[in-house]
Amino acid sequence: MARLSALMLLFILSALPGTTAPVESPGGPPNICSYPISQTVRIPVAIRRAGDADQGGDTDAALLWVTSGAKDELPEGPSSFDVLEDGSFVIADPLRDRLAIFDSNAKFLQEWKLGFAADSVSITANELILVEEASTGTLHVLDRSGRLQPDAYTVLPQRGEASVLTPKNGIVARKGRDGQNRAPIEVRFDRPGQALLSLESLATDAAGNSFIALESTVEGKASPDVNVDKVVRRYDSEGLLVGETSTLPLDYFVTPVDELRVHRGSVYQLQTTKSEVRINIWKTNEGCPHP
Amino acid sequence: MNSLPNLRLVMRAVTGLSVLTAVLVCAQTTVIARLPRTSRAEILARARKLAEHGWVCNASNLNASCSHRYRSDWKAGQHITGLPYRWGGADTVEEFDKKIAQGLAAGAHSQFGVLSCAAGVDCSGFVTQCWGLAGSGHAYSTSNLRDIAGEPKYNWFSDMKPGDALNLAGSHVVLFTGYNHDGTINVCEASGSKARVVCHATTWSRFKGYRPLQYKGIDE
Repeated sequence: MARLSALMLLFILSALPGTTAPVESPGGPPNICSYPISQTVRIPVAIRRAGDADQGGDTDAALLWVTSGAKDELPEGPSSFDVLEDGSFVIADPLRDRLAIFDSNAKFLQEWKLGFAADSVSITANELILVEEASTGTLHVLDRSGRLQPDAYTVLPQRGEASVLTPKNGIVARKGRDGQNRAPIEVRFDRPGQALLSLESLATDAAGNSFIALESTVEGKASPDVNVDKVVRRYDSEGLLVGETSTLPLDYFVTPVDELRVHRGSVYQLQTTKSEVRINIWKTNEGCPHP
Repeated sequence: MNSLPNLRLVMRAVTGLSVLTAVLVCAQTTVIARLPRTSRAEILARARKLAEHGWVCNASNLNASCSHRYRSDWKAGQHITGLPYRWGGADTVEEFDKKIAQGLAAGAHSQFGVLSCAAGVDCSGFVTQCWGLAGSGHAYSTSNLRDIAGEPKYNWFSDMKPGDALNLAGSHVVLFTGYNHDGTINVCEASGSKARVVCHATTWSRFKGYRPLQYKGIDE
Protein backbone atom coordinates (compact mmCIF):
# COMPACT_ATOMS: atom_id res chain seq x y z
CA MET A 1 0.00 0.00 0.00
CA ALA A 2 2.79 2.36 1.01
CA ARG A 3 4.68 1.45 -2.13
CA LEU A 4 1.61 2.18 -4.24
CA SER A 5 1.20 5.59 -2.53
CA ALA A 6 4.83 6.41 -3.20
CA LEU A 7 4.43 5.50 -6.86
CA MET A 8 1.30 7.65 -7.13
CA LEU A 9 3.14 10.56 -5.47
CA LEU A 10 6.01 10.12 -7.90
CA PHE A 11 3.56 10.15 -10.81
CA ILE A 12 1.88 13.35 -9.54
CA LEU A 13 5.20 15.08 -8.95
CA SER A 14 6.47 14.15 -12.39
CA ALA A 15 3.43 15.82 -13.94
CA LEU A 16 4.07 19.12 -12.13
CA PRO A 17 5.84 22.01 -13.90
CA GLY A 18 9.54 22.16 -13.25
CA THR A 19 10.27 18.46 -13.48
CA THR A 20 10.19 18.09 -17.25
CA ALA A 21 13.12 20.32 -18.15
CA PRO A 22 15.10 18.94 -21.04
CA VAL A 23 18.71 18.80 -19.98
CA GLU A 24 20.91 18.21 -17.01
CA SER A 25 23.16 20.47 -15.05
CA PRO A 26 26.41 19.35 -13.44
CA GLY A 27 26.47 20.60 -9.87
CA GLY A 28 22.97 22.01 -10.02
CA PRO A 29 19.61 20.42 -9.34
CA PRO A 30 18.96 17.33 -11.43
CA ASN A 31 17.56 17.84 -14.94
CA ILE A 32 18.04 21.60 -14.98
CA CYS A 33 20.11 23.35 -17.61
CA SER A 34 22.83 25.55 -16.06
CA TYR A 35 23.92 28.63 -18.00
CA PRO A 36 27.47 29.84 -17.31
CA ILE A 37 28.44 33.52 -17.56
CA SER A 38 28.64 34.14 -21.32
CA GLN A 39 30.40 37.48 -21.12
CA THR A 40 31.58 40.08 -18.62
CA VAL A 41 31.67 43.72 -19.67
CA ARG A 42 34.26 45.66 -17.66
CA ILE A 43 34.14 49.43 -17.23
CA PRO A 44 36.92 51.09 -15.20
CA VAL A 45 36.14 53.18 -12.14
CA ALA A 46 38.09 55.89 -10.35
CA ILE A 47 38.17 56.44 -6.59
CA ARG A 48 36.80 59.88 -5.79
CA ARG A 49 38.99 61.80 -3.39
CA ALA A 50 37.74 64.07 -0.63
CA GLY A 51 36.28 67.27 -1.97
CA ASP A 52 36.26 66.15 -5.61
CA ALA A 53 33.35 67.56 -7.52
CA ASP A 54 32.72 66.86 -11.17
CA GLN A 55 33.38 70.17 -12.90
CA GLY A 56 33.72 68.66 -16.37
CA GLY A 57 36.79 69.85 -18.28
CA ASP A 58 39.71 67.53 -17.71
CA THR A 59 37.67 64.88 -15.91
CA ASP A 60 37.61 61.72 -17.99
CA ALA A 61 33.95 61.24 -18.93
CA ALA A 62 34.51 57.52 -19.51
CA LEU A 63 35.32 56.91 -15.85
CA LEU A 64 32.66 56.00 -13.31
CA TRP A 65 33.31 57.15 -9.76
CA VAL A 66 33.29 55.29 -6.46
CA THR A 67 34.22 56.31 -2.92
CA SER A 68 36.45 54.08 -0.85
CA GLY A 69 34.09 54.13 2.13
CA ALA A 70 35.27 54.28 5.73
CA LYS A 71 34.76 52.64 9.09
CA ASP A 72 30.97 52.50 9.48
CA GLU A 73 30.34 53.90 6.00
CA LEU A 74 29.75 51.78 2.93
CA PRO A 75 31.49 52.66 -0.33
CA GLU A 76 29.29 54.51 -2.80
CA GLY A 77 29.16 54.48 -6.58
CA PRO A 78 27.25 52.91 -9.48
CA SER A 79 24.45 50.83 -7.97
CA SER A 80 21.91 50.65 -10.78
CA PHE A 81 21.74 50.14 -14.52
CA ASP A 82 19.53 49.01 -17.37
CA VAL A 83 19.91 47.78 -20.93
CA LEU A 84 18.75 49.89 -23.87
CA GLU A 85 17.09 48.38 -26.92
CA ASP A 86 20.35 48.31 -28.91
CA GLY A 87 22.14 46.44 -26.11
CA SER A 88 24.02 49.43 -24.73
CA PHE A 89 24.03 50.13 -21.00
CA VAL A 90 22.74 53.11 -19.09
CA ILE A 91 24.52 53.27 -15.72
CA ALA A 92 23.67 55.53 -12.81
CA ASP A 93 26.84 57.37 -11.76
CA PRO A 94 25.62 59.10 -8.58
CA LEU A 95 28.91 60.70 -7.57
CA ARG A 96 28.99 62.57 -10.89
CA ASP A 97 25.27 63.42 -10.91
CA ARG A 98 24.74 61.75 -14.27
CA LEU A 99 23.79 58.71 -16.30
CA ALA A 100 26.62 57.29 -18.38
CA ILE A 101 25.97 55.31 -21.57
CA PHE A 102 28.33 52.54 -22.69
CA ASP A 103 28.00 50.20 -25.63
CA SER A 104 27.95 46.43 -25.22
CA ASN A 105 31.77 46.36 -25.46
CA ALA A 106 32.25 48.87 -22.61
CA LYS A 107 33.03 51.77 -24.97
CA PHE A 108 31.87 55.09 -23.53
CA LEU A 109 29.22 56.68 -25.76
CA GLN A 110 27.81 59.68 -23.93
CA GLU A 111 26.62 61.09 -20.61
CA TRP A 112 23.36 62.64 -19.54
CA LYS A 113 23.84 65.23 -16.84
CA LEU A 114 21.07 65.08 -14.27
CA GLY A 115 22.04 67.68 -11.68
CA PHE A 116 21.38 65.14 -8.91
CA ALA A 117 22.67 61.76 -7.73
CA ALA A 118 20.63 58.87 -9.14
CA ASP A 119 20.69 55.47 -7.46
CA SER A 120 18.05 53.69 -9.53
CA VAL A 121 17.45 53.67 -13.28
CA SER A 122 15.04 51.56 -15.32
CA ILE A 123 13.65 51.48 -18.84
CA THR A 124 9.86 51.68 -18.68
CA ALA A 125 7.29 49.79 -20.71
CA ASN A 126 6.76 52.82 -22.98
CA GLU A 127 10.49 53.18 -23.68
CA LEU A 128 11.18 56.06 -21.34
CA ILE A 129 13.88 56.12 -18.67
CA LEU A 130 12.81 56.31 -15.06
CA VAL A 131 15.38 57.67 -12.63
CA GLU A 132 15.19 57.89 -8.84
CA GLU A 133 16.95 60.77 -7.12
CA ALA A 134 19.00 59.13 -4.35
CA SER A 135 18.75 61.81 -1.69
CA THR A 136 15.02 62.53 -1.97
CA GLY A 137 13.42 59.48 -3.58
CA THR A 138 11.87 61.70 -6.27
CA LEU A 139 11.21 59.95 -9.58
CA HIS A 140 12.21 61.68 -12.83
CA VAL A 141 11.39 60.67 -16.39
CA LEU A 142 13.85 61.07 -19.28
CA ASP A 143 13.28 60.52 -22.99
CA ARG A 144 15.61 58.35 -25.05
CA SER A 145 17.86 61.35 -25.66
CA GLY A 146 18.37 61.90 -21.96
CA ARG A 147 16.16 65.00 -21.70
CA LEU A 148 14.09 65.37 -18.55
CA GLN A 149 10.36 65.07 -19.28
CA PRO A 150 8.58 66.68 -16.32
CA ASP A 151 5.10 66.03 -17.72
CA ALA A 152 5.68 62.58 -19.16
CA TYR A 153 3.32 59.74 -18.45
CA THR A 154 5.04 56.46 -17.90
CA VAL A 155 4.19 52.88 -17.12
CA LEU A 156 6.21 51.18 -14.43
CA PRO A 157 7.57 47.73 -15.26
CA GLN A 158 5.10 45.06 -14.12
CA ARG A 159 6.48 42.33 -11.92
CA GLY A 160 4.64 39.28 -10.71
CA GLU A 161 3.96 38.91 -7.03
CA ALA A 162 5.88 36.07 -5.43
CA SER A 163 5.41 33.93 -2.33
CA VAL A 164 7.75 31.47 -0.66
CA LEU A 165 5.53 28.68 0.69
CA THR A 166 8.07 26.27 2.16
CA PRO A 167 11.89 25.94 2.02
CA LYS A 168 11.32 23.80 -1.06
CA ASN A 169 8.73 25.67 -3.10
CA GLY A 170 6.94 28.90 -3.87
CA ILE A 171 4.72 30.53 -6.49
CA VAL A 172 5.08 33.56 -8.76
CA ALA A 173 2.07 35.27 -10.34
CA ARG A 174 2.28 36.17 -14.02
CA LYS A 175 0.27 37.75 -16.78
CA GLY A 176 -0.10 36.70 -20.40
CA ARG A 177 0.66 38.94 -23.38
CA ASP A 178 -2.96 40.04 -23.32
CA GLY A 179 -2.48 41.36 -19.78
CA GLN A 180 -4.74 38.70 -18.31
CA ASN A 181 -3.70 36.68 -15.30
CA ARG A 182 -2.33 33.27 -16.13
CA ALA A 183 -1.74 30.31 -13.91
CA PRO A 184 1.09 31.16 -11.50
CA ILE A 185 4.48 29.55 -11.91
CA GLU A 186 5.18 26.92 -9.31
CA VAL A 187 8.82 27.19 -8.29
CA ARG A 188 10.18 23.94 -6.94
CA PHE A 189 13.55 24.09 -5.26
CA ASP A 190 15.10 20.65 -5.06
CA ARG A 191 18.75 21.50 -4.44
CA PRO A 192 19.98 19.01 -1.83
CA GLY A 193 20.94 20.58 1.50
CA GLN A 194 19.63 24.00 0.49
CA ALA A 195 16.53 25.94 1.56
CA LEU A 196 14.71 28.49 -0.56
CA LEU A 197 14.90 31.96 0.97
CA SER A 198 13.31 34.38 -1.46
CA LEU A 199 11.75 34.74 -4.89
CA GLU A 200 11.83 37.84 -7.06
CA SER A 201 10.05 38.11 -10.37
CA LEU A 202 12.41 40.02 -12.66
CA ALA A 203 10.65 40.11 -16.03
CA THR A 204 8.39 38.35 -18.51
CA ASP A 205 9.44 38.81 -22.12
CA ALA A 206 7.26 39.15 -25.24
CA ALA A 207 7.39 35.40 -25.83
CA GLY A 208 6.06 34.74 -22.35
CA ASN A 209 9.33 33.55 -20.80
CA SER A 210 9.59 34.49 -17.14
CA PHE A 211 12.81 35.21 -15.27
CA ILE A 212 12.83 34.69 -11.51
CA ALA A 213 15.67 35.31 -9.04
CA LEU A 214 16.02 32.75 -6.23
CA GLU A 215 17.98 33.18 -3.03
CA SER A 216 18.83 30.13 -0.96
CA THR A 217 20.87 29.14 2.05
CA VAL A 218 22.04 25.99 3.79
CA GLU A 219 19.14 23.93 5.06
CA GLY A 220 18.71 23.33 8.78
CA LYS A 221 20.54 25.32 11.45
CA ALA A 222 21.67 28.60 9.99
CA SER A 223 25.26 29.82 10.05
CA PRO A 224 25.90 32.71 12.49
CA ASP A 225 26.30 35.14 9.60
CA VAL A 226 24.05 35.63 6.59
CA ASN A 227 25.11 33.18 3.92
CA VAL A 228 23.24 33.33 0.63
CA ASP A 229 23.41 31.85 -2.85
CA LYS A 230 21.57 33.43 -5.75
CA VAL A 231 20.57 32.24 -9.22
CA VAL A 232 18.12 33.38 -11.91
CA ARG A 233 15.78 30.84 -13.45
CA ARG A 234 14.05 30.92 -16.81
CA TYR A 235 10.56 29.48 -17.20
CA ASP A 236 8.79 29.16 -20.57
CA SER A 237 5.37 30.51 -21.44
CA GLU A 238 3.76 27.34 -20.10
CA GLY A 239 5.46 27.82 -16.75
CA LEU A 240 7.92 24.99 -17.30
CA LEU A 241 11.44 25.37 -16.01
CA VAL A 242 13.96 25.78 -18.84
CA GLY A 243 17.17 26.38 -16.90
CA GLU A 244 19.04 28.55 -14.43
CA THR A 245 22.17 30.67 -14.34
CA SER A 246 25.28 29.63 -12.53
CA THR A 247 25.52 31.02 -8.99
CA LEU A 248 25.79 34.80 -9.08
CA PRO A 249 28.99 36.36 -7.72
CA LEU A 250 27.93 38.40 -4.70
CA ASP A 251 31.24 39.97 -3.68
CA TYR A 252 30.19 43.59 -4.13
CA PHE A 253 32.25 46.64 -3.26
CA VAL A 254 29.30 48.99 -3.79
CA THR A 255 25.99 47.51 -2.64
CA PRO A 256 23.63 47.37 -5.63
CA VAL A 257 20.14 48.87 -5.64
CA ASP A 258 19.16 47.32 -8.97
CA GLU A 259 21.34 44.27 -9.30
CA LEU A 260 19.60 42.34 -12.09
CA ARG A 261 18.08 43.14 -15.47
CA VAL A 262 16.70 40.96 -18.25
CA HIS A 263 16.86 41.93 -21.92
CA ARG A 264 16.08 39.76 -24.95
CA GLY A 265 16.58 36.50 -23.12
CA SER A 266 19.80 37.50 -21.41
CA VAL A 267 20.27 38.05 -17.67
CA TYR A 268 22.52 40.97 -16.68
CA GLN A 269 24.07 41.52 -13.25
CA LEU A 270 25.70 44.76 -12.08
CA GLN A 271 28.72 44.16 -9.88
CA THR A 272 30.69 47.21 -8.84
CA THR A 273 34.13 46.32 -7.52
CA LYS A 274 36.98 48.56 -6.32
CA SER A 275 38.48 48.81 -9.79
CA GLU A 276 35.65 48.32 -12.28
CA VAL A 277 31.98 48.02 -12.92
CA ARG A 278 31.34 44.51 -14.14
CA ILE A 279 28.23 43.57 -16.04
CA ASN A 280 27.96 39.79 -16.01
CA ILE A 281 25.79 38.35 -18.79
CA TRP A 282 24.10 34.95 -19.01
CA LYS A 283 22.71 34.38 -22.52
CA THR A 284 19.85 31.98 -21.92
CA ASN A 285 18.76 32.01 -25.57
CA GLU A 286 21.90 30.23 -26.63
CA GLY A 287 20.71 26.90 -25.30
CA CYS A 288 22.14 24.70 -22.66
CA PRO A 289 25.92 24.17 -22.84
CA HIS A 290 25.66 20.88 -20.96
CA PRO A 291 23.59 18.60 -23.23
CA MET B 1 59.70 19.03 47.80
CA ASN B 2 58.97 21.84 45.34
CA SER B 3 55.45 20.74 44.69
CA LEU B 4 53.96 22.84 47.51
CA PRO B 5 55.20 26.25 46.26
CA ASN B 6 54.10 25.24 42.73
CA LEU B 7 50.69 24.33 44.06
CA ARG B 8 50.50 27.70 45.80
CA LEU B 9 51.39 29.43 42.52
CA VAL B 10 48.70 27.48 40.71
CA MET B 11 46.18 28.29 43.43
CA ARG B 12 47.07 31.99 43.22
CA ALA B 13 46.71 31.93 39.44
CA VAL B 14 43.34 30.20 39.67
CA THR B 15 42.17 32.67 42.31
CA GLY B 16 43.40 35.56 40.15
CA LEU B 17 41.58 34.23 37.12
CA SER B 18 38.41 33.73 39.12
CA VAL B 19 38.56 37.29 40.41
CA LEU B 20 39.21 38.62 36.89
CA THR B 21 36.31 36.60 35.50
CA ALA B 22 34.08 37.81 38.29
CA VAL B 23 35.08 41.42 37.63
CA LEU B 24 34.41 41.04 33.89
CA VAL B 25 31.05 39.34 34.45
CA CYS B 26 30.18 41.98 37.00
CA ALA B 27 31.18 44.79 34.62
CA GLN B 28 29.14 43.25 31.80
CA THR B 29 26.18 42.77 34.14
CA THR B 30 26.50 46.41 35.18
CA VAL B 31 26.48 47.55 31.53
CA ILE B 32 23.38 45.46 30.85
CA ALA B 33 21.75 46.66 34.07
CA ARG B 34 22.36 50.25 32.99
CA LEU B 35 20.87 49.76 29.55
CA PRO B 36 17.54 51.50 29.15
CA ARG B 37 14.69 49.03 28.81
CA THR B 38 12.51 49.28 25.73
CA SER B 39 9.88 47.33 23.83
CA ARG B 40 10.01 46.29 20.19
CA ALA B 41 7.04 48.55 19.45
CA GLU B 42 8.98 51.52 20.84
CA ILE B 43 12.04 50.62 18.74
CA LEU B 44 9.95 50.57 15.55
CA ALA B 45 8.20 53.81 16.50
CA ARG B 46 11.58 55.54 16.92
CA ALA B 47 12.73 54.20 13.54
CA ARG B 48 9.58 55.50 11.86
CA LYS B 49 9.99 58.89 13.51
CA LEU B 50 13.52 59.24 12.10
CA ALA B 51 12.60 57.90 8.65
CA GLU B 52 9.43 59.97 8.30
CA HIS B 53 10.71 63.25 9.66
CA GLY B 54 10.05 65.99 7.12
CA TRP B 55 12.30 69.03 6.89
CA VAL B 56 13.25 71.77 4.46
CA CYS B 57 16.83 72.42 3.41
CA ASN B 58 17.60 76.14 3.62
CA ALA B 59 20.49 77.87 1.88
CA SER B 60 22.30 78.12 5.21
CA ASN B 61 22.24 74.31 5.54
CA LEU B 62 24.17 73.77 2.29
CA ASN B 63 27.52 74.82 3.72
CA ALA B 64 29.59 73.57 6.63
CA SER B 65 31.46 76.31 8.49
CA CYS B 66 34.08 73.84 9.73
CA SER B 67 34.93 72.31 6.32
CA HIS B 68 35.80 74.21 3.16
CA ARG B 69 35.66 70.97 1.14
CA TYR B 70 32.09 70.18 2.18
CA ARG B 71 29.56 69.40 -0.51
CA SER B 72 25.85 69.10 0.26
CA ASP B 73 23.54 66.35 -0.99
CA TRP B 74 20.68 68.80 -1.39
CA LYS B 75 19.53 72.05 -2.92
CA ALA B 76 18.04 75.05 -1.17
CA GLY B 77 14.29 74.80 -0.72
CA GLN B 78 14.06 71.04 -1.11
CA HIS B 79 11.51 69.24 1.06
CA ILE B 80 13.04 66.02 2.34
CA THR B 81 11.68 63.07 4.29
CA GLY B 82 14.12 61.31 6.58
CA LEU B 83 16.84 62.59 8.89
CA PRO B 84 20.09 63.29 6.95
CA TYR B 85 23.00 60.89 7.04
CA ARG B 86 25.94 62.34 8.99
CA TRP B 87 28.99 60.16 9.47
CA GLY B 88 29.73 60.02 13.22
CA GLY B 89 26.36 61.62 14.01
CA ALA B 90 23.73 60.54 16.54
CA ASP B 91 21.26 63.45 16.58
CA THR B 92 17.68 62.98 17.65
CA VAL B 93 14.91 64.60 15.60
CA GLU B 94 14.69 67.41 18.15
CA GLU B 95 18.46 68.02 18.15
CA PHE B 96 18.51 67.94 14.36
CA ASP B 97 15.70 70.51 14.02
CA LYS B 98 17.48 72.80 16.45
CA LYS B 99 20.79 72.55 14.57
CA ILE B 100 19.15 73.09 11.18
CA ALA B 101 17.43 76.19 12.53
CA GLN B 102 20.86 77.41 13.70
CA GLY B 103 22.20 77.05 10.15
CA LEU B 104 24.34 73.94 10.54
CA ALA B 105 24.99 71.79 7.49
CA ALA B 106 22.45 69.07 6.76
CA GLY B 107 24.32 65.76 6.80
CA ALA B 108 27.90 64.84 5.85
CA HIS B 109 29.88 61.88 4.52
CA SER B 110 33.11 60.37 5.81
CA GLN B 111 35.25 62.06 3.16
CA PHE B 112 34.73 65.34 5.04
CA GLY B 113 35.51 63.84 8.45
CA VAL B 114 33.26 63.90 11.52
CA LEU B 115 31.80 67.39 11.27
CA SER B 116 30.65 69.11 14.44
CA CYS B 117 29.10 71.81 12.25
CA ALA B 118 26.69 69.36 10.60
CA ALA B 119 23.52 67.63 11.77
CA GLY B 120 22.26 64.10 11.25
CA VAL B 121 22.78 60.49 12.16
CA ASP B 122 24.88 57.59 10.85
CA CYS B 123 24.09 53.87 10.69
CA SER B 124 25.12 52.90 14.23
CA GLY B 125 23.87 56.20 15.65
CA PHE B 126 20.50 55.41 14.09
CA VAL B 127 20.24 51.84 15.40
CA THR B 128 21.34 52.71 18.94
CA GLN B 129 18.90 55.61 18.99
CA CYS B 130 16.11 53.24 17.92
CA TRP B 131 17.12 50.98 20.80
CA GLY B 132 16.56 53.87 23.19
CA LEU B 133 20.17 54.98 23.67
CA ALA B 134 19.69 58.51 22.41
CA GLY B 135 21.53 60.01 25.37
CA SER B 136 24.70 57.97 24.85
CA GLY B 137 26.21 60.34 22.27
CA HIS B 138 27.99 58.08 19.82
CA ALA B 139 29.38 55.53 22.26
CA TYR B 140 28.68 52.57 20.00
CA SER B 141 29.84 51.78 16.49
CA THR B 142 29.37 48.64 14.40
CA SER B 143 32.56 47.32 16.03
CA ASN B 144 31.34 47.41 19.65
CA LEU B 145 27.57 47.01 19.31
CA ARG B 146 28.17 43.51 20.66
CA ASP B 147 28.68 45.13 24.10
CA ILE B 148 24.98 45.96 24.23
CA ALA B 149 23.53 43.39 21.83
CA GLY B 150 23.84 39.62 21.77
CA GLU B 151 24.17 37.32 18.80
CA PRO B 152 21.06 35.17 19.11
CA LYS B 153 21.31 31.47 18.37
CA TYR B 154 18.44 31.43 15.94
CA ASN B 155 17.97 31.07 12.19
CA TRP B 156 18.34 34.56 10.79
CA PHE B 157 16.13 33.72 7.81
CA SER B 158 13.10 32.77 9.91
CA ASP B 159 13.43 33.81 13.55
CA MET B 160 14.51 37.45 13.62
CA LYS B 161 12.11 39.82 15.34
CA PRO B 162 11.35 43.44 14.44
CA GLY B 163 13.84 45.62 16.28
CA ASP B 164 16.79 43.23 15.88
CA ALA B 165 19.69 44.41 13.71
CA LEU B 166 21.92 43.06 10.96
CA ASN B 167 25.48 44.15 11.56
CA LEU B 168 28.74 43.92 9.66
CA ALA B 169 31.42 45.02 12.12
CA GLY B 170 33.45 47.93 10.80
CA SER B 171 31.10 48.51 7.90
CA HIS B 172 27.35 48.98 8.33
CA VAL B 173 24.32 48.12 10.45
CA VAL B 174 20.58 48.17 9.67
CA LEU B 175 17.45 47.70 11.76
CA PHE B 176 15.37 44.67 10.81
CA THR B 177 11.63 45.40 10.75
CA GLY B 178 10.06 42.27 9.24
CA TYR B 179 9.88 39.46 6.68
CA ASN B 180 7.86 39.63 3.46
CA HIS B 181 5.91 36.72 1.98
CA ASP B 182 8.29 36.61 -1.00
CA GLY B 183 11.16 35.95 1.42
CA THR B 184 12.72 39.41 1.17
CA ILE B 185 13.07 41.55 4.29
CA ASN B 186 12.19 45.05 5.44
CA VAL B 187 14.87 47.19 7.01
CA CYS B 188 15.37 50.78 8.14
CA GLU B 189 18.81 52.33 7.92
CA ALA B 190 20.77 55.55 7.88
CA SER B 191 22.03 55.20 4.32
CA GLY B 192 25.05 57.07 3.02
CA SER B 193 24.13 56.53 -0.62
CA LYS B 194 20.57 57.76 -0.03
CA ALA B 195 21.92 60.49 2.27
CA ARG B 196 19.18 59.96 4.86
CA VAL B 197 17.24 57.51 7.02
CA VAL B 198 15.04 55.27 4.87
CA CYS B 199 12.90 52.16 5.31
CA HIS B 200 12.60 49.72 2.43
CA ALA B 201 12.33 46.11 1.31
CA THR B 202 15.49 44.39 0.16
CA THR B 203 16.97 41.01 -0.71
CA TRP B 204 19.23 38.88 1.48
CA SER B 205 22.20 38.97 -0.89
CA ARG B 206 22.83 42.55 0.19
CA PHE B 207 23.61 41.29 3.69
CA LYS B 208 25.97 38.46 2.93
CA GLY B 209 28.37 38.22 5.90
CA TYR B 210 26.21 40.34 8.24
CA ARG B 211 25.29 38.97 11.68
CA PRO B 212 22.00 39.39 13.52
CA LEU B 213 22.08 41.28 16.81
CA GLN B 214 19.48 41.53 19.54
CA TYR B 215 19.57 44.50 21.91
CA LYS B 216 20.08 43.33 25.50
CA GLY B 217 17.64 45.88 26.92
CA ILE B 218 14.55 44.61 25.13
CA ASP B 219 11.47 43.87 27.24
CA GLU B 220 9.92 40.85 25.57
